[in-house]
Amino acid sequence: MASVKRVASGGEKPERGSFTKKALVQAITESQHENSDENAGSSSSDDEEATASSNGEEEQEEEDEEEQEEDDDEDDEEDTHSHMAKRQKLSSQDIQIARETAELFKSNIFKLQIDELLEQVKLKESHIVRVEKFLHKLYDMLQEVPEWTGQSLEDVEKYFNGKVVSVPFVDPKPQVKSTQYKFNYLKPDVSLVGSFGLKTAIYQPQGSSVDVLLTMPEEIFMKKDFLNFRCFHKRSVYLAYLTHHLSVMLKKSNLEFLHLEYSHFNNDPLQTVLKVSCKEKTSSEYNFYKTKFSINLIVGFPYNFFEVKKLLPNKNCIRVGQDNETPTPFYNFSVLSSSSYEHYLKFLHKTKKQTEQYKQACVLGKLWLSQRGFSSNMSHSNALGGFGNFEFAALMAALLNGGGLNGNRILLHGFSSYQLFKGVIKYLATVDLCTDGYLQFYSDYNSTATVTTSKYVDEGFQTPTIFDKTTKVNILSKMSVNSYQMLKIYAQESLLMLNDVVRDQFESMFLTNLNKVRTIKYDACYELDIPSINVLLSKFGPVEKISFISFENFICNKLANIVKIALEDRIMAFEVALVNNKTTFPISKRKVATVPNFTSIRIKLLINPAESEKLVTKGPENREEFAHEANDFTLFWGKKASLRRFKDGSIANCCVWSTSATDSVVSSILSYTLKLHLTEDCKLINNSTSQFQQLLPLPNLPASSKTSVLNLSSYYNLKKSFDDLYKIMFELKLPLSIKSLLPIGSAFRYTSLCQPVPYAYSNPDFLQDVVIEFETSTKWPDEITSLEKAKAAFLLKIQESITETHSEYRCFFTRDESIPYNTEIITLNILTPEGYGFKFRVLTERDEVMYLRAINNARKELRPELEKTFLKFTAKYQAAIRHTRTLENISHSYPFYSPVVRLFKKWLDSHLLYGHLPEELVELIAIKPFVDSRPFTIPGSVENGFLKILSFLASWNWREDPLILDLVKPDEFGEQETSIGASELDSSVLKKLSEKLTLAQYKTIQTNFQQLRKEDPQGLQTQFFVASKNDPSGILYSTGVALPIATRLTALAKVAINLIQLHGLNKQTIELLFTPALKDYDFVIKLKVPTPLKLSSGVINADEFKNLNEQLTGFPKDLDTMSNKMDPTYQLVKYLNLKYKNSIIFSNHRHIGVTRSKNGDENVITGLIKPVFKKQLKFKVNMDCNVKPVEKDLVELNKDAIFHEIGAFCQELIVGFEANN
Amino acid sequence: MAREQLQNGFLAVPFALPPVNNLKQKSSKPYHYMFVRKHQSKLESEQHCLFLVNLPLLTQLENLKKNFHEICHRNDTVSHVQDLLHHDEFGLHEVDLSSLTSTLMSVDEPNEKRYTPRNTALLQFVDKQSVENCWEALRKYASNRKQEHIVWKFQSPSIETFTSFYRPLPLEYLKNDIHEHMALFEQRERQAQEEVQSSIVDDDGFTLVVGKNTKSLNSIRKKIFNRNPLLKHEKPVKMPNMVDKKVKKDFYRFQVRERKKQEINELLAKFKQDQEKIKEMRSKSRFNPYS
Repeated sequence: MASVKRVASGGEKPERGSFTKKALVQAITESQHENSDENAGSSSSDDEEATASSNGEEEQEEEDEEEQEEDDDEDDEEDTHSHMAKRQKLSSQDIQIARETAELFKSNIFKLQIDELLEQVKLKESHIVRVEKFLHKLYDMLQEVPEWTGQSLEDVEKYFNGKVVSVPFVDPKPQVKSTQYKFNYLKPDVSLVGSFGLKTAIYQPQGSSVDVLLTMPEEIFMKKDFLNFRCFHKRSVYLAYLTHHLSVMLKKSNLEFLHLEYSHFNNDPLQTVLKVSCKEKTSSEYNFYKTKFSINLIVGFPYNFFEVKKLLPNKNCIRVGQDNETPTPFYNFSVLSSSSYEHYLKFLHKTKKQTEQYKQACVLGKLWLSQRGFSSNMSHSNALGGFGNFEFAALMAALLNGGGLNGNRILLHGFSSYQLFKGVIKYLATVDLCTDGYLQFYSDYNSTATVTTSKYVDEGFQTPTIFDKTTKVNILSKMSVNSYQMLKIYAQESLLMLNDVVRDQFESMFLTNLNKVRTIKYDACYELDIPSINVLLSKFGPVEKISFISFENFICNKLANIVKIALEDRIMAFEVALVNNKTTFPISKRKVATVPNFTSIRIKLLINPAESEKLVTKGPENREEFAHEANDFTLFWGKKASLRRFKDGSIANCCVWSTSATDSVVSSILSYTLKLHLTEDCKLINNSTSQFQQLLPLPNLPASSKTSVLNLSSYYNLKKSFDDLYKIMFELKLPLSIKSLLPIGSAFRYTSLCQPVPYAYSNPDFLQDVVIEFETSTKWPDEITSLEKAKAAFLLKIQESITETHSEYRCFFTRDESIPYNTEIITLNILTPEGYGFKFRVLTERDEVMYLRAINNARKELRPELEKTFLKFTAKYQAAIRHTRTLENISHSYPFYSPVVRLFKKWLDSHLLYGHLPEELVELIAIKPFVDSRPFTIPGSVENGFLKILSFLASWNWREDPLILDLVKPDEFGEQETSIGASELDSSVLKKLSEKLTLAQYKTIQTNFQQLRKEDPQGLQTQFFVASKNDPSGILYSTGVALPIATRLTALAKVAINLIQLHGLNKQTIELLFTPALKDYDFVIKLKVPTPLKLSSGVINADEFKNLNEQLTGFPKDLDTMSNKMDPTYQLVKYLNLKYKNSIIFSNHRHIGVTRSKNGDENVITGLIKPVFKKQLKFKVNMDCNVKPVEKDLVELNKDAIFHEIGAFCQELIVGFEANN
Repeated sequence: MAREQLQNGFLAVPFALPPVNNLKQKSSKPYHYMFVRKHQSKLESEQHCLFLVNLPLLTQLENLKKNFHEICHRNDTVSHVQDLLHHDEFGLHEVDLSSLTSTLMSVDEPNEKRYTPRNTALLQFVDKQSVENCWEALRKYASNRKQEHIVWKFQSPSIETFTSFYRPLPLEYLKNDIHEHMALFEQRERQAQEEVQSSIVDDDGFTLVVGKNTKSLNSIRKKIFNRNPLLKHEKPVKMPNMVDKKVKKDFYRFQVRERKKQEINELLAKFKQDQEKIKEMRSKSRFNPYS
């Protein structure tokens, strides 16, 4: 920082050593002032350098103000009252702010949110003062280190012999024999660098680090020292000598609470630094334990001392034998970056001076990156590496000086923090810096120059590149191709968020930490265990050693290449990270650890659901001209590679994989290729994917265990059967012809818990609902019972004609209970020859009026009940049609939605909640992580989708937030971008055609929610508000959901997420996730039904041999006997709930064939006594519960009698009864 | 043991309960308490009644009769039970949709329809003497603690009872039911039509009588549609009328100024509102990126 100050104000070349302390002090005191200056809003004297553009900005503002004053004058004419005028003046300033923010920021609220956020993450002033106090002390101590010159390696070894401190030589350690050069210690030039130096540091709970740069004087080096680790060895000795003296001095000055350790800066094994932190809290004035800061003493090389041209990424600087060709990019980068810390600080500082909001934008960038797990670390470390605060700041600085294809400016100095930030995100999202091109810039540009200096060059190096022509540093050297890919995906997602004008995306943008649960961020995580790591170590030869420097880097690179080639477009991006990779080591040690410096490797994938399960990996065609590629292909895939003829006649090299109900194709490919290319015994461990997929009920269909979870053919078969019936029904001759047949069953939208299996009529979802509408008629009876009878008469006509003409179809009638109090609804059930069943109900124009009229005519206390009835009717007959159509339509764009929603339903049923929640509500909640996935990506695996639902439920506050779903297909990133380029007409047409929610619609839904909460602030009546275009009211499905059920859902999700966070995912935890907590209920009744219902529900166990005798092959001759294989417990619980409606909530497993026992013959009923009835009550006639007298007029719930009643009610089914107290 | 008579005149009539499979018996014997009071009503149909609260599971006239006879018998008296009124254990008839949608099929006005609260019923006796006898007997039975209490035998449904809900409806029954109902409905409708016809034309030929459920009248229709609970929380949207649409809005200078002022005020108001929102969010500490 000290030298920064000098450059910024004078630019003269600093004298070494002598000047720095003063400057440091000056800079520090200035930092305290700067904040207060900013608050006062006045510009400091340094602002003389303000650029032309920001001047222009000010002029603009002045003009605005003038205009404003005019307006004020006019107002004054109308109202001459003096204090009125004053009020007007005051507000004119507000108007200014309001206007500005609307233009410069996404919206007013966004700007306010940003301000608030920046305020939140500000470093505490007292903390800064404290750490600075120590920095002064440190500086003094550094001055006291005696110089030490002309030491040979032998001298050095002698010197450190017997001392605590070791020299942290990098590999390979220098040998006394071959080391001719001398080692020295001369006083360094000290300065503050990094974000603390730039003053963009922010508060971080884990603590921030202060980077102090100690630049080694030029005298220590020879010009050729950049070769063969010489400069690094010199530095190691320099650092060790300094460390030794520091540790001695610390003891002397009673600063023993300080802890010194070596650390690999940014995880670069070539850059060892000294890390100073506080061990414990003491009373010393220099103790900064509380601030959580740590200080990195970085030893740098003098800037521009080594010839930068020779250190270009493609040059060789480590000579092994005769080889001076093999490029050593990592080594070269390390040398260059060690010489340019200060240079970059100056560069960024200059930019900061010129650009008012640069600092804020840097902070925003920093937050954005850290929430997504990016850092400046080398990419092989346990994070997304290579792109941290520095890289973000440097990119922004470069873009302020051009960056376009013709060097046009991407960002302007007058931009607001939001605009700057968005500009960088947009650049990252839309511009390719890896394959097709790179960005070049100059970090020593002259600020007065009018020509821009940064330029995008159309020529890619196949590695992420932002190249600084001045220092010859590729800023993105530490970044791997795959972490660049990841960065790009997040930038694209974020750009879509920033472009979203409908929703407030602030929270997803900056506040959500994506890394909290690994399995939520990634679709699949694997742990790679390599027992015979030595085989790989032997492959780490001299050439690899110089090009990759560390074994860790080498193996990550190798692994990344395998994953990339093996999975191609089956994944969108991936990450390779080392587990237990240490970066710090005690000062008594020479290096961090023995090789390998990790225990296992983690591979994390973002899956591309559209491609992930395809069966064939297609290679080059089998033709002469592709012979080379074909060879590569067979080399990579080994035995798996084969030739195949395709439909179009072409013959190509391919690999064929097989799908499975429990495992993904991606897993098997990874496992195969890693075994082939790493070591044969390497183990790819994944504890969760198959565990979760096994929880999905396996349909009793041929080859179902070999069917992918994404395969929907069982649903297509049902739909085909319906289509045949559809044609027949439309050909029927009827008094009123059929206008439409609208399917509303869950199987039509692929969301039924069990897949449709022919003849599996024990499945509660076996009969799939269909709504029939006839031609319009005015003759429908104007009374509800008669209306239902008239409908039934029509259904009878249909039944007659079908039985007559198509005897292969079998029809029967049942009474339908889906609408409360309407006991007259009759449905026609048709069993198709293919083995499926459909349940037809009639909708007329008269129905709605009937239910509304009933509300109107009812006495007041009955109205709520009738309103619920009306909602049920609307949900079942009208909204279900839209719901089914919408979900069926968009589910093709979200391939994992179907298995995820089914698993979620299973989870709900395991926890006895499913019976209490309307199916549609469940499906809407489950689709939230798909249609509104940000900041995460759209789920690409069953577990990921499922866990995202749970984490959403665990964190969502239904009382305060409405869930507003935009049920559309996902935004394609490409589409949106090209539409910007296209003419405005096109984009406006596109907008109109888009089915997305408009701002107005969104606002309407929000007001609906506010209205609802005004009447019911605690959400006692309606907890869930789930709205979409299909249902702007948000309460259609959630009205009847009782509060205890709603809160239980949230509580269970919270417990589940906690469990995963604490114990991770494995067989036990996943089993636990699906185990109901029966102890939470007041009493539990265990039931056993005489006939097992699993097989007849169409479900089999994966490990069981199929018993052909029990295969379902037809419907019984006498349809009456079908009822023997139906679930009596459902009816039982239904009546219990009706009887004890007021006092007890009963729950059970709805899908008896799936949830509880192996055969599907067990169930439980749980009872939850409403809290009101747990204490003594005054006797009332209308209290509606079973009570016994206690004293006087007091009564209490007569539990014994209730238990006896229930016992008598379930007599033939009951096998156990437990009351929990 | 509690008091047998509550302050508001109810008798707590205990019934011992038989043991049930799989349910652990407690040391104290379980009892079910039915609360009984004499019913007073002016209605002709509700004379000679006892008001019963908290009837045991699946109570029907038959088993109620049997147990009450037993009580009377112990007290050497006789009473004759006639009927069990308004008993709706599962609340299936709480709402009579038919009568709420039309008067055609129901006998009385929906407003005058009688009902008792859930879990209560009226037990009707043939004459006043029977009521008195039974009441006396119940009182004695309830207050006598030494005697063996009568065991209430529940009627347990079998599994078939539950599975039979899944059974197809017999076709003939369904056909007959529909036929009969529709015949009745058509007859009633015709009758109603005739009544309307007769009152529609008065001497001048002008009288119009609109039944309250007539579907053609727009105002009534609207009123009904306003009942839609889905629209309850929606703000009504005001439609601009034709005159508003045609008027020029920037003719006078004051109009322009007025509009400008309004715009700015709106902007300001929104800004202020946003600031409020932020304040509220801050108080909920919604800006912590590390939470």
